[in-house]
Amino acid sequence: MKMSQNTSDKDDQSPSNKKNISLPISRVRLIMKSSPDVSSINQDALFLTTKATELFVQHLAVSSFNNGSGKETNSLSYSDLANTAEETETFHFLTDILPKKILARDYLKSLEQMQEEEADY
Amino acid sequence: VNLQMDGDSSTTDASQLGITGEYGHYVLQSQDDESLNDHEDGGVKENYREQDIYLPIANVARIMKNAVPQTGKIAKDAKECVQECVSEFISFITSEASERCHQEKRKTINGEDILFAMSTLGFDMYVEPLKLYLQKFREAMKGEKGIPGVAVGESLGDELTDDSFTNPLPAGIITADGQSQNVMVYTTSYQQIPTVQQIQFS
Repeated sequence: MKMSQNTSDKDDQSPSNKKNISLPISRVRLIMKSSPDVSSINQDALFLTTKATELFVQHLAVSSFNNGSGKETNSLSYSDLANTAEETETFHFLTDILPKKILARDYLKSLEQMQEEEADY
Repeated sequence: VNLQMDGDSSTTDASQLGITGEYGHYVLQSQDDESLNDHEDGGVKENYREQDIYLPIANVARIMKNAVPQTGKIAKDAKECVQECVSEFISFITSEASERCHQEKRKTINGEDILFAMSTLGFDMYVEPLKLYLQKFREAMKGEKGIPGVAVGESLGDELTDDSFTNPLPAGIITADGQSQNVMVYTTSYQQIPTVQQIQFS
């Protein structure tokens, strides 16, 4: 446990540690600033975004875990995430970065089948 | 079916091709990609592209771990994936907030812009809990500096960063001072999990 003499609220066990953030704000700012046309961000906006990101991680993790095979296997996998992004409206914006993965051989097999079907016409 | 490189992909594995067409959007994976490369550093590089900046995976993984049932496991590629999703989420919110800001001829993105963006983009359920958090945050800062309403400078980011590895409290806990109700958000596929307090529509 890190102890710091600078501020009293560095004490983890203290219930008055109301800042209660588990993500580095400076990194969040970096990501925000990499958006085009963003000039400056005030402190509230930074804090809210950081906090919202925590909520988002929890939300995505739980939704994917419950939605996918997680409940049977008690685990969260990439495909649970990809499925959730496709099925849940809120997470639609993630579909581009969460493509469903298939094995090359399965893809080629499907391709063959499709070509056979086309050949029937 | 067109084979094309997915130029916007934030994946760091260059061997994955994006394949679009009748099958929807797929990515080829090799059979033994059980473990992808370790990305412990969080992805901050010198010549970074926008999509290469991530939050540290340890922090992200911890939040995930606290959110799912205690005995649950999380695949490594799932953690890395959420790490990327997080950057996407932040950019998503930020550009919406930025647009509104510009429309109103302002240069600084403020808290209202962020909350408005979330509401617009389907994260309405975060808004009320976030307002509560902001209130508590302001109170905490006020108490620390001893001056009401002081503007906190750059050092704030560093101060809070130190907390990240030592704070064991799940981020989802919301308590309203002096009130017995919990503000919760409920989504359709959401189920009550004892380890974390969730947010649901009141």
